[in-house]
Amino acid sequence: MKNKIKVQRAMHDMTQADLAAKIGVSRQTINAMEKNKYVPSTVLALKIAQLFKTPLEEIFFLDGDE
Amino acid sequence: MKTNYLLPNRYKLMGWILFLLGLTGGIYILIVGYEPDILSIDVLSIYNRDGIFGKEKGFLKIIENDIFDELVALAIIIGGLFIVFSKEKIEDEFIYKLRKDSLVWALLFNYAVLIFAIIFVYDFVFFDVLVFNMFTPLIFFILRFNFLKIKSQSHEE
Repeated sequence: MKNKIKVQRAMHDMTQADLAAKIGVSRQTINAMEKNKYVPSTVLALKIAQLFKTPLEEIFFLDGDE
Repeated sequence: MKTNYLLPNRYKLMGWILFLLGLTGGIYILIVGYEPDILSIDVLSIYNRDGIFGKEKGFLKIIENDIFDELVALAIIIGGLFIVFSKEKIEDEFIYKLRKDSLVWALLFNYAVLIFAIIFVYDFVFFDVLVFNMFTPLIFFILRFNFLKIKSQSHEE
């Protein structure tokens, strides 16, 4: 699974730390997600989509042959 | 992230103090080779078999024993458990995953080392292996977990 968290973050002018604080996770978690090293839980993905007021599928999407 | 088996974060420091005290005592016993003989007291033994230590044989006997090594072992194990089972400052699902991955890694690595030792280490040296093996699952976990944590901290904004 890939994501556009970094793009959304830039659009909303937020740092990794800002986003982390808003959804109650650590900065490392955001970093790991942006590097596609960690697939968030559904709850966390929904929280991020809700914060950016964007449909879930526009931020998170399947990658190739998954 | 809600977990029901983790202690509050403040236990981590307490754990480290206890763990390092225990480790220092353990290394002392290892280097000197005997216990300081200042803590000899009567203890309750659930089962004792005479032999190497030549003590009274049977169930539920009161025997005399120096409890220095027992205290050292308890300090390492309880301290280690506090380190392992206390929350991070921010305990979220990513840390939960690191914790789970480290647990699996530590268990597998521990048994890999033990299997190696069973095959290649014999006689009384193997007794040392068994002693170390009481603590290595915790130690391997702590090393792996902190390694993964530091690795995930690479700065990239």
